[in-house]
Amino acid sequence: MADDVEQQQPTNTVEEPLGLISLDERIYVKMRNDRELRGRLHAYDQHLDMILGDVEETVTTIEIEEETYKEIYKSAKWNILMLFVQGDGVVLVAPPFTAKTKNLSCLEYRSFCMTASLNVEDIQKRNLHKC
Amino acid sequence: FLIRIVKMSLRKQTPSDFLKQIIGRPVVVKLNSGVDYRGVLACLDGYMNIALEQTEEYVNGQLKNKYGDAFIRGNNVLYISTQKRR
Repeated sequence: MADDVEQQQPTNTVEEPLGLISLDERIYVKMRNDRELRGRLHAYDQHLDMILGDVEETVTTIEIEEETYKEIYKSAKWNILMLFVQGDGVVLVAPPFTAKTKNLSCLEYRSFCMTASLNVEDIQKRNLHKC
Repeated sequence: FLIRIVKMSLRKQTPSDFLKQIIGRPVVVKLNSGVDYRGVLACLDGYMNIALEQTEEYVNGQLKNKYGDAFIRGNNVLYISTQKRR
């Protein structure tokens, strides 16, 4: 296992997760501290440091009202033209949601994936057109 | 399938053998933050970076989001477990 880890750093084979990320595609990034980014991926490395362009950042905060003890979800958004993201903070990277898939139920979503091609390039091309 | 798993567990296995076996299976990935991701394991590497397909995100047991493909950074992963498809 230790040998594998050392060999993985210089080369990325097709079987590794990093090989599935494509450049110049719009992506959704979930980060620590309840932050989300949507932008165009210009560059990345093995640490998942990223250069994103045309980014929309969303910060979600939960406030608790003192009287009623209800949780209020607040989110703030802003746009950034060009952004460097440190890989430490990244949790998840995915293609951005499309209008089609967001409101489907679990079963509907699974059959959508089955009937649609599961080829990664096709999914990314589809998302690119919808963005 | 169950018999095969029992036989496998009787032999000595390293974690990397387990990881090779479960590629292509539906898995549950739990993160340090407590968020749960269920999907089909596409691939993973020695850092526990994970690529999933047909991913569903559960927060506090509630389904929050669905992702066609999801790449999860390995340092956030608490565990990877196989699951029976519902």
